[in-house]
Amino acid sequence: MIGRPSQIILASKNITSLLKNPAITQICLRNGSSNAQPVSQESTKVEERPYRPYSPFQNTNSKAEYAVARLDDILNWGRKHSLWPLTFGLACCAVEMMHIAAPRYDMDRYGVVFRASPRQADLIIVAGTLTNKMAPALRRVYDQMPDPKWVISMGSCANGGGYYHYSYSVVRGCDRIIPVDIYVPGCPPTAEALMYGILQLQKKIKRMTLTQSWYRK
Amino acid sequence: MNNLFPFNRLITGFNIIKANGGFLNSFKKLFRQDELKIGTLVGTDEMGNRYYENNLYFYGRNRWVEYNDQVFLNYDASQITAEWYGWLHYKTDLLPYNDPNRPKYKWIAKHTENETGTERQYVPYSTMPPKIQAWVPPKKN
Repeated sequence: MIGRPSQIILASKNITSLLKNPAITQICLRNGSSNAQPVSQESTKVEERPYRPYSPFQNTNSKAEYAVARLDDILNWGRKHSLWPLTFGLACCAVEMMHIAAPRYDMDRYGVVFRASPRQADLIIVAGTLTNKMAPALRRVYDQMPDPKWVISMGSCANGGGYYHYSYSVVRGCDRIIPVDIYVPGCPPTAEALMYGILQLQKKIKRMTLTQSWYRK
Repeated sequence: MNNLFPFNRLITGFNIIKANGGFLNSFKKLFRQDELKIGTLVGTDEMGNRYYENNLYFYGRNRWVEYNDQVFLNYDASQITAEWYGWLHYKTDLLPYNDPNRPKYKWIAKHTENETGTERQYVPYSTMPPKIQAWVPPKKN
């Protein structure tokens, strides 16, 4: 039975007032303590996992090494949370790249902000088919980026030619032009996949040893 | 009146803090997960992750996972096991232990997380003789 619009509006008002009621959260509070999981479940054997500290540099032999390791941690922390990608949208992958900038996947949460100029960017997302005609432009844009710089190759066309692998006018993978850090598979990859790629790149940045390499030398 | 003194919101906020184990624990959780929520614990998996549900939140935010505390900030979406993946991504509304149609074979491999960047990572190799001759840089004197 379909109610009249006035009734529906009234009902929706009731629901919102219900949601605002703190008694509801009180019920949730009560339920949260009670384990809803039945006893009959067999796979509840939780394996013991070793504690994973934030820093990947744990084996330091001297005080100086410890100091440069922590310096690296700070540096990498700053770098991985302020990745500014240069949009290099070449085909339909660019639409998915726009999606991660949109509210649902909201890349701004991770400090990832699109820049229009290669001189302000430290990450380039190659999204789409790289043609022979575009290849010199890609190389030039990449060379204009300041160090340190990273590359995400997005989609099968950028990874290895993909659908256009046997075309006469397409570069078989953008890693023939520039060094790639992260390959995101898919045709096109979902925005979720690209987001995961960015998170993987953040993990990679976390392992960078700039000051430690300098100290060892 | 409620707009001037938002008692309901304050009480809800206190309840959330209470459910997460006090101010300090809430702060820790907020630091680790950037979000503080209240919900029903619906299960845990063998990786030690805890799964919550609260249908008062909007669809898409009403099911969530709190990763094993031992991994601290190194949590990753690949740590969610295959049984829970479908529930968490709204492929099914049935919880893994309530679903009668889940196959359980002995040969099903244990779930592993993404091991890229660790010692156990997959490295591809070629079994063919190399087609190119690598350039050997001249040695400095």
